[in-house]
Amino acid sequence: MSDYKELYDAILTGNAKKAEEVTKAALEAKADPTELVKKYMVPAMDEVGKRFECNEYFVPELLIAARAMKTSLEILTPLLAEAGAEPVGRVVIGTVQGDLHDIGKNLVASMLEGGGFQVIDLGVDVPPEKFVEVAKEKDGTILALSALLTTTMTMMKNVIEALEKAGVRKNTRVMIGGAPITQQYADEIGADGYSDNASAAVAMARKLA
Amino acid sequence: MPIPGLTIIGETINDSVPSTHKLFDADDIDGILEIAKMQEEKGAAYIDVNIGPRPAEFMADMVRKIQGVTARPLSIDTPDPAIAEAGLAAYDPERAGDEKPIVNSISALRAEMFDLYKIRPFKPILLVSENVVDGRSASCHTAQETFEAARQLVGTFLERCPGATNDDCIIDPGIAPLGSDSEGNIHRLVAAMELIHGDEFFAGCHASVGLSNFTVMLPPKRPDGSPVKGPLESAFLTKVMPLGLDMVIGSVKRKYDLLPPDHPAMACLEECLKLSGFDVLMRVREFYTS
Repeated sequence: MSDYKELYDAILTGNAKKAEEVTKAALEAKADPTELVKKYMVPAMDEVGKRFECNEYFVPELLIAARAMKTSLEILTPLLAEAGAEPVGRVVIGTVQGDLHDIGKNLVASMLEGGGFQVIDLGVDVPPEKFVEVAKEKDGTILALSALLTTTMTMMKNVIEALEKAGVRKNTRVMIGGAPITQQYADEIGADGYSDNASAAVAMARKLA
Repeated sequence: MPIPGLTIIGETINDSVPSTHKLFDADDIDGILEIAKMQEEKGAAYIDVNIGPRPAEFMADMVRKIQGVTARPLSIDTPDPAIAEAGLAAYDPERAGDEKPIVNSISALRAEMFDLYKIRPFKPILLVSENVVDGRSASCHTAQETFEAARQLVGTFLERCPGATNDDCIIDPGIAPLGSDSEGNIHRLVAAMELIHGDEFFAGCHASVGLSNFTVMLPPKRPDGSPVKGPLESAFLTKVMPLGLDMVIGSVKRKYDLLPPDHPAMACLEECLKLSGFDVLMRVREFYTS
């Protein structure tokens, strides 16, 4: 396979136009879509995450890189599906009922997409039964719950209880995050994972997938 | 020097501030009281008190103890009516020179919190970036929606709280981080403030934002070592104070100034207001990387 380091660089620097051009050129040159994703795109997003963790990158860089990744993925996804390639995992994300804050949730969703996950975004103010409904659709689903308010974070426990009541808790992974959330709270309510930033959320989702 | 006409509500006694969270967890009340004193010394007109998800009685205790070390009025910061009630009941207006406390904040879906006015008159921060659609809370996506939410919420407050006036209203149009604003929130906010400022219905009302939210998630410094956050927040103030913004929940340590049009942060903000989508993020990145 030819060297498509330009694709890696385009994503790392958040150049969506370049990412699109290189992806299309690579396909014309008969590049293997799965290899493009594995060898260049996912490593680029991993590097973005590393730079974020060590304060070389900040949120604008994360979002701009995730957009470049998404631009390429939109071109490649139909071909990946044809080739039978599976996403890294399925994440259903939403801000819990009573809470309208979506900035953190959107950031995590973008990074997860960039990390190769299939992301289903339920939006904000999502009732527990909606999370249960989508968890039932496929075993191994990861639910990513977000809350910004101390008054709404308790809804995360309600989601976990609703999963248990519906008999789907065992086959579902639950990760949580948001300003008032701590590892201690995740342990208290029986969540499977917690992360305090979007980059760490991708690592956590990979662990749970 | 503080900006004339700008009232600062000191933001630091807040459970979501990591250093303050540690003090709360360690039950280091003296440490909390030191923050209150420091904020008063550095010019805070109000001291915000946010205890996170702790019992209501803890808020009452904190209000009494903080009022023991400062005569500044307090801002009771919680979305939980029980915690707000405990804070208001414990508040001593005499100690604060007969100044009413602030309740931070009340949105249309939490309008029942206006009933706490019977316990003690207060100035509510009215969160008008949300409205109620079909009985559920929804974000305002346009300036017009925000303006209408403001009319509704100010009207509800004045109706439910006899004796309250426009001077008691603090309108919060909802500020979002500029570094992730690919959906035009800053455009909505500025346009909404223009509408509110131009309507006689709101004469005498105050307006406030949680200013630190504007630059959260951005780096502290540019490559030449100059600060990023203070200048961008100052640019925001320069743009929005002429539209009626006269209060902020903010840091007393930050140096706020009114900026000239050719200041790089002012140029960045003005250009962001002309851009949309991810171009806004690119322009913000250009500001802090160049």
